[in-house]
Amino acid sequence: MKKQILLQITALVVVSGLFVGMLVAANAYEETKARIVEVLCLSCIKLEPKTIQEFTFDTANNAPHPYFVTENLTKGPVFLHYSEDVCAGCEIMFPIVKQIFNIEFEKQDMFSKTIAYGNANITYIYINLDHTINILEESFPLYDKDDIGGLPMFTLVTLGYDHGIVRPYYATLYGTLNVPTDAERIVLLQEILTEGIEMYQQNKAGYHPH
Amino acid sequence: MKFQLKRLYFQLLLFFTTNLGAIGLKTGFCYPFFYCQACPAATSACPLRALENSIYKQSFEWRFFVYPLLIIGFFGISTGRAICGWACPIGFLQRGTGRIARKVKRHTIAQKLGTHRMEKYFRYTKYFMLIVFVFLTSLLIGFIFTDICPVGMLVGTFPILLLNPGKFVPNYFFPVALIIFILFIILIFLIERGWCRYFCPVGALLAPFNKVSMLYIKVHTEECLHCNICSNVCPMAIDVPNMHRDPECILCGKCVNACPQKQITYEKV
Repeated sequence: MKKQILLQITALVVVSGLFVGMLVAANAYEETKARIVEVLCLSCIKLEPKTIQEFTFDTANNAPHPYFVTENLTKGPVFLHYSEDVCAGCEIMFPIVKQIFNIEFEKQDMFSKTIAYGNANITYIYINLDHTINILEESFPLYDKDDIGGLPMFTLVTLGYDHGIVRPYYATLYGTLNVPTDAERIVLLQEILTEGIEMYQQNKAGYHPH
Repeated sequence: MKFQLKRLYFQLLLFFTTNLGAIGLKTGFCYPFFYCQACPAATSACPLRALENSIYKQSFEWRFFVYPLLIIGFFGISTGRAICGWACPIGFLQRGTGRIARKVKRHTIAQKLGTHRMEKYFRYTKYFMLIVFVFLTSLLIGFIFTDICPVGMLVGTFPILLLNPGKFVPNYFFPVALIIFILFIILIFLIERGWCRYFCPVGALLAPFNKVSMLYIKVHTEECLHCNICSNVCPMAIDVPNMHRDPECILCGKCVNACPQKQITYEKV
């Protein structure tokens, strides 16, 4: 009996020690919070955000558009692709986006490139929230206009005319875009890119980032 | 205060603590029981989700593997499967549906099925669920369990649809998940603690700890009358007089209260 008590207490001490060690040294608490608790798991809820191709001027939290967006807007529209390592929807959308822009990189890379698309240059920025820098990560809630908090998320920032001023104008799409096939997803993304480029061409003359 | 009333208050308290996300409290802990982090009010992560993340498509994130197991291990060593009987909100829900399930149990067909010799083997389904649907599919295919999980449907999908009308549409797993959810609801109304007995993968993680836990239920067989009242009130349908640290025991204490000879007691090491 005494041997059993000793074993139980030892096991409890070891488990508790390892747990505290993981909290302190392995950053398990922060990782769990950021990667599981705070990101809406779309596969857990068996739902997809309703994708509406609607452009808007104001960011979700009314903060100014980040510098890396406003600067790149001088070259053309900016396409932001938000993703994470473990995400069923991201797996579906990743090859589709690579195919549209004819680019090649790995899921865990940080990647950005200015790409000739149609009659414009589009700056493509891939943001894997598990492997990125603060400034890029902080742009995620800004463009999450429907306050979904789920991934993948796609934002096209172009230019729009707002009561006499040319300002960044963006649309955000979520998940696998509410269509069942890859072909339809490609068409949907191409449509929004074309629409964004047209708006950009109409308004670029009046755009001054600062 | 009656013991079962104390347990009810404790379950209520834990239910509110589990849902403190409703007032903005989000933590980086994993629950030691089954509850979905996709619930708008959830404070912590589902341990199964962390485990799935850890081995998703052959990637290995050791932190997400060890972290939930340590949390479950801590509670398992301390109290065994008492978490299921005292803290789990899904267990709490089944306590509510148990009244109807107990009435169904009196039916002849239910009695025959309940005492069928295969019934005890069917309890291994939860281990199968854990190994195949949580580990193997995550490792080889991707998320399958979370895509069809009825608990995610109950505490995640429906509240999100109610709170965000028109903002979401069903994905391709929704119809399958809805059927499984309906079966889950039927199950918990037909069989008392049916989910805990047969299907809960977190219960499968906690169950082996009953063999070594510091808290357990002991039957003093030498003075047992074998009246079987304890087995009749047991929500997990355990043969209580013959149990010794049974992996199915959720330490709810119903047998302790029911024993006319007071021969069943909680024991602490």
